[in-house]
Amino acid sequence: MSRINKNVLLALLTLTSSAFLLFQLYYYKHYLSAKNGTGSSKSKGNRIGFDSTQWRAVKKFITLTSSQNAPVFLIDPWILELISKNLEQVKNASQGSASDCRFLCAPRDFTAFALQYHLWKSEDGWFRIAENMGFQCLKIESKDPRLDGIDSLSGTAIPLHYVCKLATHAIHLVVFHERSGNYLWHGHLRLKGHMDRKFVPFRKLQFGRYPGAFDRPELQQVTIDGLDVLIPKDPGHFLEEVPHSRFIECRYKEARAFLQQYLDDNTVDAMAFRKRAKELLQLAAKTLKELGVPFWLSSGTCLGWYRQCSIIPYSKDVDLGIFIQDYKPDIILAFQNAGLPLKHKFGKVEDSLELSFQGKDDVKLDIFFFYEETDHMWNGGTQAKTGKKFKYLFPKFTLCWTEFVDMKVHVPCETVDYIEANYGKTWKIPVQTWDWKSSPPNVQPNGIWPISEWDEVIQLY
Amino acid sequence: MDDWKPSPVIKPFGARKKRSWYLTWKYKLTNQRALRRFCQTGAVLFLLVTVIVNIKLILDTRRAINEANEDPEPEQDYDEALGRLESPRRRGSSPRRVLDVEVYSSRSKVYVAVDGTTVLEDEAREQGRGIHVIVLNQATGHVMAKRVFDTYSPHEDEAMVLFLNMVAPGRVLICTVKDEGSFHLKDTAKALLRSLGSQAGPALGWRDTWAFVGRKGGPVLGEKHSKSPALSSWGDPVLLKTDVPLSSAEEAECHWADTELNRRRRHFCSKVEGYGSVCSCKDPTPIEFSPDPLPDNKVLNVPVAVIAGNRPNYLYRMLRSLLSAQGVSPQMITVFIDGYYEEPMDVVALFGLRGIQHTPISIKNARVSQHYKASLTATFNLFPEAKFAVVLEEDLDIAVDFFSFLSQSIHLLEEDDSLYCISAWNDQGYEHTAEDPALLYRVETMPGLGWVLRKSLYKEELEPKWPTPEKLWDWDMWMRMPEQRQGRECIIPDVSRSYHFGIVGLNMNGYFHEAYFKKHKFNTVPGVQLRNVDSLKKEAYEVEIHRLLSEAEVLDHSKDPCEDSFLPDTEGHTYVVFIRMEKDDDFTTWTQLAKCLHIWDLDVRGNHQGLWRLFRKKNHFLVVGVPASPYSVKKPPSVTPIFLEPPPKEEGAPGAAEQT
Repeated sequence: MSRINKNVLLALLTLTSSAFLLFQLYYYKHYLSAKNGTGSSKSKGNRIGFDSTQWRAVKKFITLTSSQNAPVFLIDPWILELISKNLEQVKNASQGSASDCRFLCAPRDFTAFALQYHLWKSEDGWFRIAENMGFQCLKIESKDPRLDGIDSLSGTAIPLHYVCKLATHAIHLVVFHERSGNYLWHGHLRLKGHMDRKFVPFRKLQFGRYPGAFDRPELQQVTIDGLDVLIPKDPGHFLEEVPHSRFIECRYKEARAFLQQYLDDNTVDAMAFRKRAKELLQLAAKTLKELGVPFWLSSGTCLGWYRQCSIIPYSKDVDLGIFIQDYKPDIILAFQNAGLPLKHKFGKVEDSLELSFQGKDDVKLDIFFFYEETDHMWNGGTQAKTGKKFKYLFPKFTLCWTEFVDMKVHVPCETVDYIEANYGKTWKIPVQTWDWKSSPPNVQPNGIWPISEWDEVIQLY
Repeated sequence: MDDWKPSPVIKPFGARKKRSWYLTWKYKLTNQRALRRFCQTGAVLFLLVTVIVNIKLILDTRRAINEANEDPEPEQDYDEALGRLESPRRRGSSPRRVLDVEVYSSRSKVYVAVDGTTVLEDEAREQGRGIHVIVLNQATGHVMAKRVFDTYSPHEDEAMVLFLNMVAPGRVLICTVKDEGSFHLKDTAKALLRSLGSQAGPALGWRDTWAFVGRKGGPVLGEKHSKSPALSSWGDPVLLKTDVPLSSAEEAECHWADTELNRRRRHFCSKVEGYGSVCSCKDPTPIEFSPDPLPDNKVLNVPVAVIAGNRPNYLYRMLRSLLSAQGVSPQMITVFIDGYYEEPMDVVALFGLRGIQHTPISIKNARVSQHYKASLTATFNLFPEAKFAVVLEEDLDIAVDFFSFLSQSIHLLEEDDSLYCISAWNDQGYEHTAEDPALLYRVETMPGLGWVLRKSLYKEELEPKWPTPEKLWDWDMWMRMPEQRQGRECIIPDVSRSYHFGIVGLNMNGYFHEAYFKKHKFNTVPGVQLRNVDSLKKEAYEVEIHRLLSEAEVLDHSKDPCEDSFLPDTEGHTYVVFIRMEKDDDFTTWTQLAKCLHIWDLDVRGNHQGLWRLFRKKNHFLVVGVPASPYSVKKPPSVTPIFLEPPPKEEGAPGAAEQT
C-alpha cells in the first residue's frame, strides 16, 4: 500500500510540476520577448533579417523625422563603431542594394539618435504624430541651464530626452542644445515621480546618465541597411568623445551667494584683468587644442570657476594643468608662435615640470604638469633662488567638461576634493595673500635640485 | 534550461483518463523496477529544473525592478515637481458648484472676494477711480480679466463698452465703483449696462456707489447701489454678498476642431478674457499667420528678444504684428517678462512662443534697465552662435517688411565698425516729415524701439559695465551717453518700421503719446527694396551727403522756416536751409525749428554731424547747423544762417523725456 501511495504521490508530483514548469516556461519566454526581443529572435532561429524590431523601429523613426524635418543624426556608439570600421565600404555602398542587415538588426534594446534642437523649426505636435505611427513616447524636460547663470530668470522647460518605443525596441532621442563656446550639450535623464520606471530598461541607455558636452560635429549622409541616416563625418572622433563627455554645470546659485557675501569687484581694473585673462585662456585653449593636448583649469582659475563662476580678479595669472603623458616638446614653440613667449621653465619632463608663459599686459599663463602615482597625483614646484623643490599632492581625479567664460573646458570632476587639497576646507573665504610655498595644505618639500642640473631645470627668461 | 527533456514524462500524462487502466498499468510498473527508478529520477530531475527556472525568474524580475528604480536618482528638482503637481489636484478634489462672491464699493476703497479669496483690493489714494470690472470663468470661478475704467474721464466709457462687448456670453461680470464713475459714462455705456440687466448702472449718478454681479447675457445675480445725497458727498459704502452658481465646463468652452493650435487657443480662452475674436466660438481669429518667407533672408537666424512687462493686451497686439511680418522665424523669438505675471505668459503660450520670466530687481528705471540686461544676456546664451540680436518692446507694431528691412541692411553692421546699431525707428519720421520707405539715414543718436544689437558690442563693451541696480538710469539714456556710444552711429529708415502704440508706461501718458507718437509714420508696404544700402557706410555716406548738398536748392532764408510757404509748392526736390549752431552742442535754433515743425523736440535726435534730413511737402529738406557742421562749407557766402530765439521760460515740457 505504502508503495502504491508513494508511486501515486510521485506521479502526482511529476504531473503538477510539469504543468507548473510548462506554465513557467511559457511565461518566462513571454517576459523575455517583451523585454528586449532576444527571446523571440532566438526562437525564430536564424531569421535575423530586415524585419528585426530594431530595423523596423529605426525605419519608422527615420520616416517620422524626415516628414517632420527634425534635424537628427545617429549617435549610437555601437552602430557608429561598426560603421567606422567599414566607413569606406558604407560610403561607397550607399547606392548598392544592401543584401543583408549588418548594422540595425542586432537584438538590442535601444538605438540612440541626437536631435539638434536649435535647427528644429516646428516642434509642435510631432509627439502626437509619433504616437499615431505606433510609437509610445516619453519626454523628459528640465529647466534651461543656459539661464542659470543669469540672476532670477525662469523660462519654459526645454526637452532633454525623448524615448520612443515601438514594440520591443526603443529609440533614444538625445536632445542636443547649443551652448556658448561652440559646443553641443545634452542633459541628464532624470525620471520624475510620475514616470513609468519600467517603460524601458533605462539603465542600459548610453546617454543621459550624466549631462554631456560634445564638439559640434560635421555630418554626412550614409545609407546603412537600406536606410538613409546622418552620422558624424568623423565617427571615430565622436566615439572618442563619448566616454569622456560628462559635463558639470558651474554652481551658479552658490556663486551668487558668494558674490552677495563678498561683493564682486567691478572696478575698471578688475574688469580689464578679467578681459585679458579670458583672452589669454581662449588663446591657450586654442593653441593646446591644435596640438591635441588636453588640459584643465587648475589652482586659482579652477577655484574661480568653482567658487564664483568667473575669473578671480586679483589672481594675476591663469593656471592650467596637463598630464605629463600628454606633454609635447612643441608646446613651447606653439605658444611662442601664438604670441606667448616662455617666461620660465622649471623641472624636466621626468620630474616637476612647470612652464610659464608671458601673456599680454602682465597676465601670466602657468602650466603645471601632473604626475600620476598609484594612489595620488602630484605636480612640482621649484624656487628659482634656492633650487628647492616642492610637491603638491592631489587625490586622483578624472576630467569633466564645463563652461567657463564662454568656453568648453575641462575641470577635475571631483572638484571639491581637488580644491580642498589645494586650498583647504576654507576655500570659500577669499584670501588675497597667498604664498605658493607655504600656504597650500598639500605642499611638501621635495628636496633640492643638484647644482649641476640647475641650468636645465631652472630656466628664466 | 536546455537540459530539460520532456520525452520521459509524457507517459504519465494520460494516466488520469481511466482508473482501471491506470491500476493495471501501475501494477505493471511496480514489477518493472528499472522503469520505476527511471521514472522517479525523471520526476526528481523535473522538480529540480522547475525550481531552477523559478529561481531564475524571480531573480530576473527583481533585477529588472531594481534597475528601473535605481537609475535616475531623484534630486531636489524632483520634489519640486511633485509639489507643483499638488495644487491643481487639491483644487479639483472638492468641486464646489457655488461661488460666494463679495463686492464692496465706496469712496476710497473697493474690493472683490471670491470664495473668501480677495481678487481685487484697491484703497490707494488718488488711484483706481472709476468702474472696476472683473470677469470670472463661469465654470471654474477663475479671474479671467481685471480692468478699471476711469469713467470720470472722457473716452474711458468707450473702452469699457469695447471691453464688455468682447467678453464671451455666459461669463460672470463683477462691477464696482470707486470714488466717481459717472461723470463721463455716456448713453452707449449706460445702454450696455441696461442690456446686462443692471438697474442702477444705467442710472448711476455723481459719486454714487454701486456693486453689481451678473452673468453676461444671463440673469443678474446681485446688485446694490447707494445714491449720493449731495454734490459734495459720496454715497454710502455698499457691500454686496451673493452666490454665483457654477456651470459645467463644457458649457463654458467652444467646440473648436481638435488641433494643436486650438488646444493652445482653448487653454488661453479658458483663462483670460478681453482679447476679442481670438476666443470667438464661431469664427475665431487665426493665431498662426505663416507670412511669406523672405528670399535670401539674412536675418533668419538672428534671435529676437521681446522685452515685456505686465501689459498683456499690448503684448498680444505686438506679437500678432511680429508674427505677421514677412520672414519671421518664430523659433528665434523669446519674450522676456519682467515679473511673474501670468497673463503675459498666457499670451506667449497662445502663440506657441518661448517665454522667460524675470524676478524684478530694483525699482522704476533701474528695474527696466536690469530687465534689459538679463534679457540680452539670456538671448546670447540661448543662441550662442548669433552675431546679432533684434530687440523689440511689447508696445510696438512691427512693419510687414521689418525683417526685409533688416535683411537688406544687416551686413552694414558687420562691415562697418563705425556703426552702433540699426534701428527701425526714425525719431523725426512723422506723417508730415517722412516720405521715402527706401531711404536710409545715418544718425548719431540711438533711437531704440526695434533695433539690432551686435553681440560683440554687448559682450565686450556694454554687458561688463551695464549700470548696476542701485543706479536709477534709463538703459537707453545710458546707451546714448558718449562713453558708450563713442562716436558711433545708427542706421535708421526714413519711414519707421515700427510703431509705438503704448500709451500706458513708465514714462508715458495719453497726452504725451498724442503729441509725440500718434502721428508717426509707419511703413505698410511689403517688400520695399532699400535704395543704395552700401552708400550708408562711413566714407560712402559723406560722398552721398556732399552730392546731396551740391544738388540742393538753397531756400530763401529771409522767410519764416516754420511756415509751409517756406518751401515752394514742388514735389521731389531737395532743399537746404542753414541754421545757426555755434558749437557741436548748440541746438537752440534746431529745437525751436523742431518745435514749430511738430517733430521730436525734447532732446536732439536724428542728427549727423550737424545735419538733419527730413521731408517737407514731399521734398527732401536738409538742415545744416552753421558753423558747427562740417557741411557749413556748402553755405553760399550770401546766406545768413537762420536764428530762432527760444521763448522766455515757460512752464516745463510735459513730463519726463519718454524712453524710446
